[in-house]
Amino acid sequence: MGGLTPYGVAFTRGVLRALSRPGDLAVRVGFYLIILIVTSALWRAALDANDGELAGYDRVALFWYVAAAQAAQLGPRPRTIEEVGDEIGAGTVAVQMLRPVSVVGLRIASELGEAMLRVVVAFVIAAAGMLVTVGAPHSTAGALLSLPAALLGCTLSVTAQHACGGIAFWLLDARATWFLWSKLVFLLGGLLIPLELLPDGIGNVAKVLPWASMTWVPGRLASGDLDPLLIGLQLVWLLIAAVLAAGVFALGERRLQVVGG
Amino acid sequence: MVVIDAQALAKRFGDVEAVQSITFAVEAGERLAYIGPNGAGKSTSIKMLTGILYPTGGTATVLGLVPWRQRRQLAHRIGTLFGQRSQLWFQLSPRETLALLGRIYRLSGGETARRIASLGELLDATELFDRPVRTLSLGERMRCELAASVLHEPEILFLDEPTIGLDLVAKARFRDLILRLNEERATTIFLTSHDVSDIEQVARRVIVINHGQLIYDDRVSRMRRDLLRTRLIDVRFETPPGELAIDGATLVKLSGPGAKLEVDTEQRSIRAVLDDLLDRYDVADISVTEPPLEDVITHIYGQAPA
Repeated sequence: MGGLTPYGVAFTRGVLRALSRPGDLAVRVGFYLIILIVTSALWRAALDANDGELAGYDRVALFWYVAAAQAAQLGPRPRTIEEVGDEIGAGTVAVQMLRPVSVVGLRIASELGEAMLRVVVAFVIAAAGMLVTVGAPHSTAGALLSLPAALLGCTLSVTAQHACGGIAFWLLDARATWFLWSKLVFLLGGLLIPLELLPDGIGNVAKVLPWASMTWVPGRLASGDLDPLLIGLQLVWLLIAAVLAAGVFALGERRLQVVGG
Repeated sequence: MVVIDAQALAKRFGDVEAVQSITFAVEAGERLAYIGPNGAGKSTSIKMLTGILYPTGGTATVLGLVPWRQRRQLAHRIGTLFGQRSQLWFQLSPRETLALLGRIYRLSGGETARRIASLGELLDATELFDRPVRTLSLGERMRCELAASVLHEPEILFLDEPTIGLDLVAKARFRDLILRLNEERATTIFLTSHDVSDIEQVARRVIVINHGQLIYDDRVSRMRRDLLRTRLIDVRFETPPGELAIDGATLVKLSGPGAKLEVDTEQRSIRAVLDDLLDRYDVADISVTEPPLEDVITHIYGQAPA
């Protein structure tokens, strides 16, 4: 790790940390596979009731969608916003500010190390399962591209959650934000159902919102839609989230209130 | 050379003035105790001097840098240890934390390894560095915390209640380590503590603040001598004296042939009291002691701001 920046080291340590806890990794991936099996069964029933197609998704496209979208969301810890908010509210962040690095940058790098490993492991296992049970995806390129898209989605999620968690610099608590966030990912991110199944107006708006770039985009690519704008959209949102997270922390650190030892 | 220069430094939290216009300077290599009762503004002062908090008034430079504007630059040159807040990553072993800190402080891999080995020896913590943080006792963890604070060989070490919760042996050991850092590396020590022994054994100079204001600034030795005008006399008589009455002295305790008297030296000199005792009673043994530093500090805390 000699040539790595502190952020690179934090990322690598995150990967190693996840690898050093195989039990935790196995439980998370196992839970992901159970969810995948349950949702696949539900979608199979829905497809059967609709002549094998739903909003343009056939069985292969829909199952690959579900696998990629769920894998992208397996990476980030579900309560990252809350954890970030708690560190700020409790003043723990003050100690981190005493290091000559970006507090939020180091934290995101560390989180991503763990999160990305989980995404890759889940994705590879799910892809193997899909190949055996559902068959090859409609587009091999799309399925392959959905892995980096899932990693980008995971990065966007972690970064944006840090930006939201930073609200605790003002409110001293970010729990309400976390609750709202989880619902937005579920509904507007396409985690519950592909956005094409939402009413047209809501679905079209949701597609350009950040939550769609976290889950719907990797799912969409895996389903066979090779639209290059999808990755472009992810990159735009990632840039916005990074600027927001850096800005929120820069402003928040100025108004940090830590009283007492 | 002045390494800390605070000028009318102030911090207000809403309606509460945590620190009110404090002015002081610290020279390189000094060992300063910055003390005061709970809520006096000690930690707030440290947080402003390390750049965590923005002041609402006044200014300060630490090693020529304005802490809250040049926090990251300053972080390369200062070390901090908060007794109540850990800086170790609980998911990592202390050695991994130190290795990561080495990268953060831009040390080469070889240099980081050399310093970790050296600190392991100095702190007798080589074996601790490889244990999960959660399995360390408080005393063991504090040694690792100190290693993390000084890995980059800071010029100033800010210690905010570093011995809180430690047992007597661990405290003594910790103080020795701080003194060694000061003597061997000329590290300036800026210490806050409620433990009088920390102040007596580590610091040469003491600044007392209360209600956010500086109320005392002098050498520790002088504080005891100058500020409390009472002395305690322990006397043992050849035979029990019966009644004991000495002008200018208050009888604190009389038990058989032994007695303890308190003398207010502003009312009567110690010498006069001793002469009186020796002339009027059959004294077998006598000793004069200064009041404990704790009493001195309690006395200062009760004073109005200077």
